[in-house]
Amino acid sequence: MSFHPKMAYDATFHKSSRTLADPGPPFTFTPERRARLDEVLTRYPPDRKRSAVLPALYLAQQQHGYITGNAMRHIAEILEITPADVEDVVSYYTMFYTKPVGRFVLNVCRTLSCALNGAERVTEELCAKLHIKPGETDTSGTFTLVEVECLGACDRAPVVMVNDAWHECVSPESVGHMLDSLRTRGESALTGCHLAVEKR
Amino acid sequence: MIEVVDTVTLTLDGRQITVEKGKTVLQAALEHGVSLPYYCYHPGIGIDGSCRVCIVKIEKMPKLQTSCSTVCTDGMVVDTQSPDVHAARAGVFEFLLINHPLDCPVCDKGGECPLQDFSYTFGPDNSRMEFPRRVFDGEGVKADVDFGPTLMLNRNRCIMCTRCVRFMGLVDGDAQIGVINRGNGSEIGTFNDEGVHSLMSGNLVDVCPVGAITTRDYRFKSRPWDNPSVTDTICTQCSKGCNTTAWLKAKPEWAKGSSLIRFTPRFNADVNQYWMCDIGRFNYRWVEGDDRLRAPLVRDAQGTQQRASWADLMPKLRDRLAQAGQSSPDGVKFLVSAHASNEELFLFRRLTEELLGPSGPSTITVSWRVTPKQQPPRTTFKVPAVDAPNVNGARAFGLVTGAVGDPQGPSNVGALQAAVAAGSVTALFVFDPGPDGTLGDSQWLLDARAAGQLPLLIVQGVLMTSLAKAADFVLPGASFVEKDASYTNDQGWLQATSRALATPGDAREDWQILVDLASGLGVQLGYTSAATVRGDIAARMGGAVGLVGIEGLAFASTMSARTWLQASNPSERWKWDFMYQDLPPVKGAVEPSSLPPPPGLIPLKEVK
Amino acid sequence: MEPLLTQDVRKPNGYTLDFYVEHDGYAGLRRALGMAPDQIIEMVKASGLRGRGGAGFPTGTKWQFVDKKSPNPRYIACNADESEPGTFKDHVLMERNPHLLIEGCAIACYAIGAKVAYIYIRGEFLHVQQVLEAQIAEAYKAGYLGKNILGSGFDCDVWIHRGAGAYEAGEETALLESLEGKRAQPRNKPPFPAVVGLYNCPTAVNNVETLCNVPLIVKNGAEWFAALGPEKNGGPKLYCISGQVKRPGVYEASMHVTLRELIEGERYAGGAREGRTLKAIIPGGSSVPVLLPEQLDVPASFDAVQKAGSLLGSAGIIVCDDTTCMVWLAENLLHFYRHESCGKCTPCREGTDWLHKILHRIERGEGQMRDLDLLASISAQIGGKTLCAFGDAAITPVQTTLKHFRHEYEAHIREGRCTLVADWRARQPIGAH
Repeated sequence: MSFHPKMAYDATFHKSSRTLADPGPPFTFTPERRARLDEVLTRYPPDRKRSAVLPALYLAQQQHGYITGNAMRHIAEILEITPADVEDVVSYYTMFYTKPVGRFVLNVCRTLSCALNGAERVTEELCAKLHIKPGETDTSGTFTLVEVECLGACDRAPVVMVNDAWHECVSPESVGHMLDSLRTRGESALTGCHLAVEKR
Repeated sequence: MIEVVDTVTLTLDGRQITVEKGKTVLQAALEHGVSLPYYCYHPGIGIDGSCRVCIVKIEKMPKLQTSCSTVCTDGMVVDTQSPDVHAARAGVFEFLLINHPLDCPVCDKGGECPLQDFSYTFGPDNSRMEFPRRVFDGEGVKADVDFGPTLMLNRNRCIMCTRCVRFMGLVDGDAQIGVINRGNGSEIGTFNDEGVHSLMSGNLVDVCPVGAITTRDYRFKSRPWDNPSVTDTICTQCSKGCNTTAWLKAKPEWAKGSSLIRFTPRFNADVNQYWMCDIGRFNYRWVEGDDRLRAPLVRDAQGTQQRASWADLMPKLRDRLAQAGQSSPDGVKFLVSAHASNEELFLFRRLTEELLGPSGPSTITVSWRVTPKQQPPRTTFKVPAVDAPNVNGARAFGLVTGAVGDPQGPSNVGALQAAVAAGSVTALFVFDPGPDGTLGDSQWLLDARAAGQLPLLIVQGVLMTSLAKAADFVLPGASFVEKDASYTNDQGWLQATSRALATPGDAREDWQILVDLASGLGVQLGYTSAATVRGDIAARMGGAVGLVGIEGLAFASTMSARTWLQASNPSERWKWDFMYQDLPPVKGAVEPSSLPPPPGLIPLKEVK
Repeated sequence: MEPLLTQDVRKPNGYTLDFYVEHDGYAGLRRALGMAPDQIIEMVKASGLRGRGGAGFPTGTKWQFVDKKSPNPRYIACNADESEPGTFKDHVLMERNPHLLIEGCAIACYAIGAKVAYIYIRGEFLHVQQVLEAQIAEAYKAGYLGKNILGSGFDCDVWIHRGAGAYEAGEETALLESLEGKRAQPRNKPPFPAVVGLYNCPTAVNNVETLCNVPLIVKNGAEWFAALGPEKNGGPKLYCISGQVKRPGVYEASMHVTLRELIEGERYAGGAREGRTLKAIIPGGSSVPVLLPEQLDVPASFDAVQKAGSLLGSAGIIVCDDTTCMVWLAENLLHFYRHESCGKCTPCREGTDWLHKILHRIERGEGQMRDLDLLASISAQIGGKTLCAFGDAAITPVQTTLKHFRHEYEAHIREGRCTLVADWRARQPIGAH
């Protein structure tokens, strides 16, 4: 769409620039998620719909696994902002994915307290076990390995956040067991939060 | 009544200065001739405080402060020259340049680049960066990409001042540009790489303080030092009348003269702020295009248009017109585009009055085109729908109903159309000095002509339009950059275009053609220049709304671009016009008296 | 001192509303609603409560600055974006004592005249958020939140807003930007959030632990609270001890306690691990200067730690033993800062990356001696020139390790490798097991 119907322009030079968000299939929220978003919108002043962009993106990620271009467009429409505004936000925060990820995203904390307790070794071990590098997904599509910065559980270092749940006090030796039980038992295999660790 | 302005007094580099309350330290410094660098700040799009180069030392503040975001207070003591400020500034410049490619020799901005200029003035003389620069080119990915139909984006050059992001949100009203990723990997981008689709896109080039955003129109076409002269003028492509500068590029040595290379906006607080739309900026090729009328044309007995000299044409034209007038005194009509300047409208009025008496002007129909522009609802720069600069001038001369300043709708040519259809028009004189199509719909005229309802058609204009092709006589006139002329914009401001180029070939200025035509018809108007026309307008109707002060209009002469290229960047022009009026700019000194007065009678307003 | 904030965190039902109410919960709110808002602010001022988020700014003063004349609504934004490396106290409070925070939010709203409090919780705390959300719902049901609280006519809503992974969102203005649905980048100050905050309305941004202290003050009085700690450092404090110690964890103490007690005391972290000695301590999250083992005999209060040459910050104490290479430590932290820099202002965006590149080179053993001066110079170029405190935080690891451990840098450069025999990678070479 050009605003300049009368004006001639040179031919397009280059069309590709950065790696673009996957447009994905046409996207609309499921009725339940849409209702949930509408409920969230009531928390903010009516003229500040934009505030709900993070909740909306979480819902979209829940629905599709990652955030597609069409999802950004859909959210922009609902919140009355431009898709560029949404992409701006998506690209800023680390917890949104714009590409498909594995069933379990292993976020290994690499910041000081975890690193002092061997987080680097945990990552190396995970890489070796899954035959991937940080940022990649294994061939089965089960695990995506991501190195992240401080997760805020430094007393139980090193910590791995699997999707949204924590698995604490990891050691290079226990990594294999964690992967195996994740494969068989899903997220219930995780040590969970604070109390669970203390009880141990 | 004298407006009482609250002021504050502060000390700037040991000097006591008084500024309006609410001004920032940066504004105060610029106004008082203290040069400070800045990138993220732009007076039209507000304060961001992110580039950090404008830091100064302010007494009683623990850290160095960004002058762009610090508001002046009474008794503040500001130091812009202390060693720690110098060091801190140089430090920030070193950071700015560690990833900025030094491809100035091939960069469009080179020579008028604030990053270049400020780095030379304030930056360190070398960089200690030993690592490769961050580049966005990668596998299948380019750093230099399309950025919509009008622009190109080179992300390697970007210094993340986010002026473009803020421009789109605040001025254009549609936030199409965003920042992608964060930290050191941040880049400017549009959603899905769709590019910027906006009627205001050209302004992004002006706000960009580096060569990251360039126009496709100007890209690789010229260097600033190849544009030896500039002329301050106004844009006449719609009723807004944005203040602009026409840039001329010198032709190669084997060719003579110069040609239009671009238009840039000039600050005018009342009309266009710092901006202009893409139509005014990019639609100028017609002025020097192949369709331009360069010689008078006369249709011969075989029905083909033949080149003629003015001397040959005038007697023939006079005879045909007189013949038509005698056969049917009411049969001679004038169709005038609202692209006609006040001078030309006045001449038409005078001519008809002299020929037909007081009712003469009723034979003049003023016409213009209306095209609603697609713009975001929240835009702060509304491009008017009327594609002609002088509807209000026509109102001032009583040629169009309504008062100066009233809302402007479509033109009304119904009566003329009916008369032509009825076959009662024996001769039609069309005046069309604007780009093709701005006269409004002319198909009905062509149809009438083909049907033989219009025995005589005369077209005075600038382009070989379909109407000109159908005409018996074609009189080549001057476009808006080829004449000193005045226009009354949609708010009622009287403004002036200035002559930047000579008329091509045998074309003449329009007032001259009309005076000659009148004298051929036996009416001696007695004008010897456009200025004498304006003088007579003032004498006869000087008090009319929209024409006040017409005799005193100042017209910019073409000046050396060097005069204000020193301002670094065309987008910084406001600084030199409205702040540094009597002060030397950064690079080299310019004798202030050598600067021409700004055209128009619009009172200078200080930048807020 | 007996724990006041965390006394019940290890009880199985310690987080429930019933338990909380049984143990005198919401008494503070009840009392507060009987007082004038200004009285509460005065009380908090008199208690000497200082912000627990890192800056240690007096909370009462912050509330006093909230623009009461503005026609706009006012807001409380609770900063639960606990992301300073080495800090993990707030999620304990939110997960194990959520009603204390809810009560604190309600009192704070009442004090500044706000009707809404947003708890900006970091995205990684989903399990905490779930507990908190359920307990907020309980509080609504019991009438401690919502319309006409406890029959006082005061309305208050508490909403949770989940972040999505950005350290910078912990900066107060960046938090507000993020709440408004933008990228978490700091704003210019002034104007401060107390005047122009969330949605351009007056806003008080308070840390979770700060708000949790408010009910205690209202319930027990300002004098009682002030008397708990040294002068101007009143009240209980949570200390997060992590790194190479025997018992890392969250410990509550008054600010009379010394850093050495916290790190080596039997009640607390228990000292360095078997056979190891302390080498360096970062007392307030990764953004503060390093202290050496001989500097630990100072009270862990805001003022005393500052006097010792560091900052208490968020009280995230990271302990490094003699196996830690300080070049590696600086490189690790600069990786963090480089990754978390929001990219808004030039020195931080460009400088953190440059610093990290140089540190990485030195750490790999490819550095040169002039790099050390370069590091110092770049740090100085960033320090104090950035939009928010992030820049100052980012250069601190470089500056303090250079100051105290320059010899390690030099050894790295000279030898082309890490010379610490006890470096953990030396102990555990890749593929050793």
